[in-house]
Formats: sequence, C-alpha cells, structure tokens
Amino acid sequence: MTDEERKKSSSVGNPLPSGEQEGWGVEEIPYPQGVAYINTRWDLCTGCGACEMACAMAHYGVINRELSRIRIYRYLLPVPKSVQTVCSQCSEQERECEKACPVDPPVIHYDETLQHMVVDVDRCLGSSCAQCREACPAKVPRFYPSEHDYAMVCDLCETGGKRRPQCVEICPNQALEFMSPKFPQHMERIHPDEKAASLRKRLYPLREDQIIKVPEEIWGGK
Amino acid sequence: MAETKFNLLEVDLRNKQTKVIDVTDEIRQFVGGRSFGAKLLWDRVPVGADPLGPENILYVGIGPITGLFGSVTSFSAKSPLTMLRGFAHMNGHFGVELMYAGYNAGILFTGASDKPVYLYIKDDQVEVRDASHVWGKSGVEAQKVLSNDLKQEMDDQNFRFALIGPAGENVIRNADICHDFFHHGARLGMGTVMGSKKIKAIAVKGTKTPPYADPDKLFEIVKTVFHHSQAHLYRVPYRRWGHMISMPQRYYATGEGIKNKQLGWDPICDLSNPVRHEQQYKLWNDACNGCFVGCKVPFLQQEPPLGPCVGEFRHDNAGGWNANVMIPGYEVQGYLSSYVDYLGFDSEDVSGVVAWMMECYQRGIITKEDLGGVELTWGNLEAICAVLKKIAYREGIGSVLAEGLKIAPEKIGKGSGPYAMTHKGVAITSFEPRGSMSDALRLACTSVGELHGGRGIPERVMMDALTTCAFLGPTLRGIFGSFGGWGIPMLNAACGWNLTQDDWDSLVARAEAMERCYSMREGYVPERDDMMPDRFFEETIYNKYGQPKILNREAFLEARRETYRSYGLQDDGTPSKERLEELNLKFTVAALEKP
Repeated sequence: MTDEERKKSSSVGNPLPSGEQEGWGVEEIPYPQGVAYINTRWDLCTGCGACEMACAMAHYGVINRELSRIRIYRYLLPVPKSVQTVCSQCSEQERECEKACPVDPPVIHYDETLQHMVVDVDRCLGSSCAQCREACPAKVPRFYPSEHDYAMVCDLCETGGKRRPQCVEICPNQALEFMSPKFPQHMERIHPDEKAASLRKRLYPLREDQIIKVPEEIWGGK
Repeated sequence: MAETKFNLLEVDLRNKQTKVIDVTDEIRQFVGGRSFGAKLLWDRVPVGADPLGPENILYVGIGPITGLFGSVTSFSAKSPLTMLRGFAHMNGHFGVELMYAGYNAGILFTGASDKPVYLYIKDDQVEVRDASHVWGKSGVEAQKVLSNDLKQEMDDQNFRFALIGPAGENVIRNADICHDFFHHGARLGMGTVMGSKKIKAIAVKGTKTPPYADPDKLFEIVKTVFHHSQAHLYRVPYRRWGHMISMPQRYYATGEGIKNKQLGWDPICDLSNPVRHEQQYKLWNDACNGCFVGCKVPFLQQEPPLGPCVGEFRHDNAGGWNANVMIPGYEVQGYLSSYVDYLGFDSEDVSGVVAWMMECYQRGIITKEDLGGVELTWGNLEAICAVLKKIAYREGIGSVLAEGLKIAPEKIGKGSGPYAMTHKGVAITSFEPRGSMSDALRLACTSVGELHGGRGIPERVMMDALTTCAFLGPTLRGIFGSFGGWGIPMLNAACGWNLTQDDWDSLVARAEAMERCYSMREGYVPERDDMMPDRFFEETIYNKYGQPKILNREAFLEARRETYRSYGLQDDGTPSKERLEELNLKFTVAALEKP
C-alpha cells in the first residue's frame, strides 16, 4: 500500500446502507504476499455457514453451500461442534491430489504464477473419477455433478492476480485466517498507520474526529 | 425476477404415502412457518379435534429466508396442553436443510402411524422408515444411531435430525422435539403430538440450490449484517456467556420466578454468575445457520458426583431449574437441565409442574406416600430427578402430572389448583410478572398460551414466521432502522415479490390475526383467558432492596385493553369483522360468529 492509498484507506471500503462509513471487520486486513493459504481455526468455528454462502456467491453467484469450496461438517460429540475443511494449498511433496490425478498432465495442479491450486475444468473427468478427492487427506476437492461436474478447490478468490478470500472476510468469528505457511508476518510487515487504522474501526460508528456527541447535536441546541 | 415456487411435502402417516403440493398462492398471504402453520391448522384440523388423535396435524414449517439469519424450524399443531393453537420453535440447522432439499414450505404430517417410524428425506427421495430400533432412546442417543446408519459418504455427516425422547414417546403432554443436543422445539407439547403420531425422528439432507429469486441482493443484505454486527454490542454478551447473561439482571429486576413465585428475592439468586460459569465450564461457541452471534455456550462439568456431564443453558430452563425450585447454583442446575433434555421434556413447562408439586408438598397437600416415597423438598435434586422419571414413564403420580398444568390440578384436587402457576395450561416458570407490567402483558396477551418473549406481538409473530431468531432482532433493527427495513427487501429478493410497506403491514397483521382466529374457534375467549393467576394480584413479593412488587388488577386490565388496541384488536381482544375482511380473512367470520 502506498502512502497515498493509506491516507484514503481509513474512509474507503464497502459502503453500508446509510452510505457513510464501514464497520469493524469490513476492513481489508493485511493479507500475505506470495504463497498463502486459508488457515482454519476449527476451535473457533461456530458452524454458521457464512463462509459457504460467501464462497458459492463469489464463484457461482448463487447461495448454495454445496457449491462452496470450503465446507463445514458438524459432529455430535455429544455436544455439537462444527469444523471447516478447505484446501491448504499443500507444498509439492504433499500434493496428493495432483499425484493421484489419472490425466496427464494433472488436471488438478498448483499454478506457480497464481500461487494456488487450479483445476482445468474442461479436462476433468468429474465425479465418476474423483481420484483427487480420494487421495486428499482432508477430502477437500468436491463435485456437484448436477451442475458443475469437476473438482472444486479453493482458489483464494483470485481474480487478475488480486486475492480476496470472501470466506475470510465474512467469518464473524475470526475462525478463518489468510496466512502465509512459512512466514506469517503479513500482520507485522505493515506501516503502523495501517495497524492504527485497522484498530480504529473498532470505534465504529464514532467518527475519526469525534469523542462524544455534543448536547447541541443531540437536542438541537435548545 | 421470477416468483419463487413454494413446495409443501405432505406425508400421510396412515398409508405411508408422500406427495408434494404447490402452495405458492397461500404463502403469498401467509408467509413463513408460524403464519402458514396457523392457516393449515384452520384448514386441516376439524373443530374440537383431539390434539393427540390422528385428526391433528404436525406441520414442520420454514420460511422463505430460513438459513440466512438463523434457521428456525417452526412446528405447528393443535396443542395438547392448551387445546388451542400450538407451536414450538427450534433453532439450529434443521430448517435450512429442508430448504436445500427443495421443500421450502416445510413438511405436513397427517394421520398417525401404528408403529414407530422416522421420515428420511434426501432431496427428492422421501421414505417413511421403521424406527423400532431407536424407540426408547433419548434424543441424542437416537441421533447418534441414525446418523451412523445413514452415513454412506462423507457429506452424509451433515444429515440433520429432529427427534423426540422418552417423554414424547410416552405422550407426556409437555414433551419436546430435540435437534443436535441443544436445540429444542419444546413448547406447547409439539413433541407430544409427534409422539402420538409415532414419529421418532425426521432426518433431512438437501443438496439442491435454494430457489431464491435474487441471490445477489439477498447476499448483499446478509453480508452487510455480518460485517456490521461485529461492532454491535448486543452480540458481545451473548457470545461470551450465552443465555446465562440474562439471569442476574432478571433476578435483580424481580423478573424471575423464585420458589414457585412465593418470593421476590433469595440469596440463591446470587449464585447465578455467568462470569464464573464462563471461566469454569464453557467449552466453545456454537451458532445456528446464518447467525453471527453464536449464543450457544455448551459447558462441561467434570467434578463427581454429578460430573462428568455436558449441557447448555437456555434462559428458560436456567430460570425453571434455578431458584424456581431452589436449586443452588448451576453445577446442580446444569445437571438437571441435561437430565430433562435426556428424558425429552419441555424443560420450562415441566419445571413448572415440579415447582407446583413442591409447593403442594410444602403445604401438605401432597404427601410422601402420594409421591411414591419421594420427599419433594425445595432444592432436593435427587427427589426432583425421581419425580421427573416418574412423569416421563408415567409411573404412579407421574401419569397424572404428565397431563400438564391444565388437567393435572383438576385431577389432584385438594385445593392444589391455585398453586399451579399457569396461563392457558402452560407453566409460567422463568418469568415473574409482578416485576414489570410489560412482562405481565407480554405473557398474558398471546392467543397461544404463555410463551416468553412477547410471542403475541404482531411483529414478533412475523419475526417467527420469517424464521429469524429473535436474538438477532435488536441488531437487525439497529442496522436497518425497523423490522420492515430488512424484512421487505429480504422477502422481495427471496420470493421475487414487490411488497410495499402497506403489503408488509397487512402480512404482519394477518399473521397475528390468523392464529388468534384459530384459537378463538377452539374456545379461546381473550377477555377470560388472557389473565394471570390470582397469586400475582394478591400476594406481594419483595425484591432485593425490600421494595414491594404486586400487580394491580385494574391497572392490568386497562393496560391489557391498550395492548389489544396496539395489536389492532377491539377492547375485548377479538378482531372486528371489518378488520378480518380487510386482512383477507373473511373465511373466518362465519366460523367465529357466536351461535
């Protein structure tokens, strides 16, 4: 982020119905550069399913968790607990899906420039094959045979080189983190101004130059 | 935008046949589970039908936006407790599954089965299956067994269940429907109706795209709320402490029943400390589908002799099993709440029955011999558990107590009636009406029996009909200014309608009037029935600071008239003929006219 952008950043973002200011949590939290993945804090997941809705909306424009690349499974322990599962963009040695793909070159593979897993949908054999799903220890690749019969894996919501994982942005419990696997310093390698601006948003709806509402503002100066 | 079609799955239990009906026209008038449920009751249940007979229906209702802001399932049937319109709301993840299975107007059960069955739904595959292997098990145990039975592939983990426990199977009048351990459709005996039809469980899993007319607009609203609510203060206490947060403040406001409403304050109340509860016992947060709060805070108690046990406090059972039966603190209370869930009771209602028995025991109306050797003294955990078990399996006096507070006081006799804290047959447990007039009115002025949370207010009826959790109400109102502010755009985007504010207002009013009309047809007279027990007008209680609290009868009646007027009713609590015609409810007029 340049200095110029930073100056603007405290007041830009998704406009709310009132059209004024954004709330805490909406901000573009510092995201990692380079190799990155979505870390699931499954101890914090409440199972609300917002990430699934966001993922399906981002990729297919429908609200259907079956089309989501992040999935929540709910267990009775006997107390219910939900856990998420999403592609962790494995390192080369660990990429079982890529090794298992019967097509040559593999349909499901890691794209070094985009830095996330990619599926060549045209070549994919679909749910009748599903070797990638079988091989994946987390059973992440999913199929939705009635509409999209190819493996669906997380692409970090990358469009044109810009990554904004929608599941991470909507999660109300900070149970999903966009992380760098080796050096998770993206929260540190930022200007203190950005840290301050990020925290300032907790004060929403208080304006930046405001401490309290003066009595005149509340009662009209009478 | 094409209009969304609404499909109702009708299950005939007698012939084990199912069919899907298009009910789009009806939903346009009666949108959502609670509202459409009242209409179905009016149409499908004969006047004066036995709630436990095969003529009664069980409607498992959802609304057009189920799963987006909470996922409430609304059960409707004629209530075996009040003999009026009955319903119970169950949060969790069950309703949204029906949405994905393609039955966006819910399931309607008619008739009754002769042997235990469960309903299996996976998209279009609907089967009535044998459930004799899980009959007799508690809700959680049965869910475990069925869940294992149905798991063929990994995604089958997400089958959702609604089940009854032993109380429902034995047709105890205040049995509940449970789902995922801590979600319950408890009130007004909906589990009893399910048990009388011999339905042990409903298992649902759906994989279709819900037919929203405008998903972009819908998701925009959802996203706005999820982002906005992060800063909303209402979210913070409920996240940390769950429902326990409401207990201390209600004790201080004399809003909680103590010793079956004999006292206004007791030192026991100070043991209800949610901070200690959080620090010592909390496991994690759990949310319903589409909820940004996550108010479910399960606990684990390890210490013997009561531990290890797990559970979750809802404020109703927290109130019912706390000072209302003089139980000291939640180590004991948590155990009791879980035991009640295990037996499959409506925790709130059965705690009223037990508290009533305890007062009768205190006054010598009921003796140790009557109770089969149980010394039912205040706060006696072992005795309470013994009585609960008697009720659940209809042993000894339990078979009388199982009839609920409308019938049991008549059967017990001996002047025990005045000590039954009941409203239209439902126990008033975790509320103390003398604390505030508005609480008293909220309890009194519903056409469906005592239900906490002002369930009779038209806006609340609509909130329930849209199957949005009431806990989200303040947050949503804070963001959008009013209920209609988000309700209208949500409905329009979900159903492809063009509702105006006027349409919305009449939808809200119609939802309330419909269930009032149904209850009136079954013998509900608002002026007579919307009363509180005499104790609240006659006995003064004192709060912690020694201030007297009592209801004034004249003031109550005047405030009640005002409440009726605010609901758009006449002073006697009935809707006028003109009002009904205005709301397209002309068909009710003839049936309601007195002979």
